[in-house]
Amino acid sequence: MSGRRTAFEIYWEILVFCRTPQSFTGIINRCDLNSKTGQEYLRFLVEKEYLVEVAEGDRIRYLATERAGEYTALFGSLYRKLFDASPRFKL
Amino acid sequence: MHESALIRFGSEIRHFYVVTVANIVFAALVMAFGISVLVGEAVSMYETFSTAQYVIYSPVVLFVALVAVLTGLRWILTSFGVFEGVEAIKDDLDGMGGEVPDEALTRLIVSMLAHYRDNRATIRTMILVCTLGGVCSFLLGIAVGLEHFSVSADGISFTINNYLVIPMLLTLGVALVSLASSYYFLGFARVWDERLDEIEVSEALLKETLELDRR
Repeated sequence: MSGRRTAFEIYWEILVFCRTPQSFTGIINRCDLNSKTGQEYLRFLVEKEYLVEVAEGDRIRYLATERAGEYTALFGSLYRKLFDASPRFKL
Repeated sequence: MHESALIRFGSEIRHFYVVTVANIVFAALVMAFGISVLVGEAVSMYETFSTAQYVIYSPVVLFVALVAVLTGLRWILTSFGVFEGVEAIKDDLDGMGGEVPDEALTRLIVSMLAHYRDNRATIRTMILVCTLGGVCSFLLGIAVGLEHFSVSADGISFTINNYLVIPMLLTLGVALVSLASSYYFLGFARVWDERLDEIEVSEALLKETLELDRR
């Protein structure tokens, strides 16, 4: 996903993608981030315990924790709620 | 809730897609009109200089036609950027068939919001250009077919050139499409702006969940 997104949208994208363990490169490619911002987002999510680092051999992978489920569920319900009402003009 | 959100989202995306296509067609017509006039004027210029008799081309018409070609081209390129994003989202939605999981729908909504944020200014410009283009085409359509027009104390009288009825109707059709595009773009822009405002409010809750919900 690309385009102008908010930080919360990027967090959601990362957390959903990391339901299965993912490498740093995989995450930044999938979420269309550069390494610097990718590192900042991952550091934040790891600090907040929404992601854990899992060592697989000599590689580090990121995995979403149970707490991430609360955030992704809330995010999804808020965004789908945007379409609760029909637009006020006739389609 | 998911079903109705999916139906509304799908309906909006498909309508937005149709309006964007109509906008590209309108821009192409403006460009085609400009090119046809340019070619006609080029022939007139050639005849003017080869026969060295009378100046039978109009620099003003030439200039207007050139502006129409460039505006049409620029308009197509701008509209295409909006069209590409909407087409990708529509294709993703269509590719999922009737079964769209919650998460996939959320992803499509986020994509559409990101696309709207990227093209907000362009869509605002499109609203203006479509309105102006529609009004100009309407006036041109009337002017093309009108042979005689007079206003007197007895009332208004006019005659229409029968040979030009079809071009007049075509031009009026273009005007109608353009004004309809403008109306729909305005409607979509208002709705998506409201959604962006709603998201800003929701962000407070998301922030709270991310930063303050420590147990």
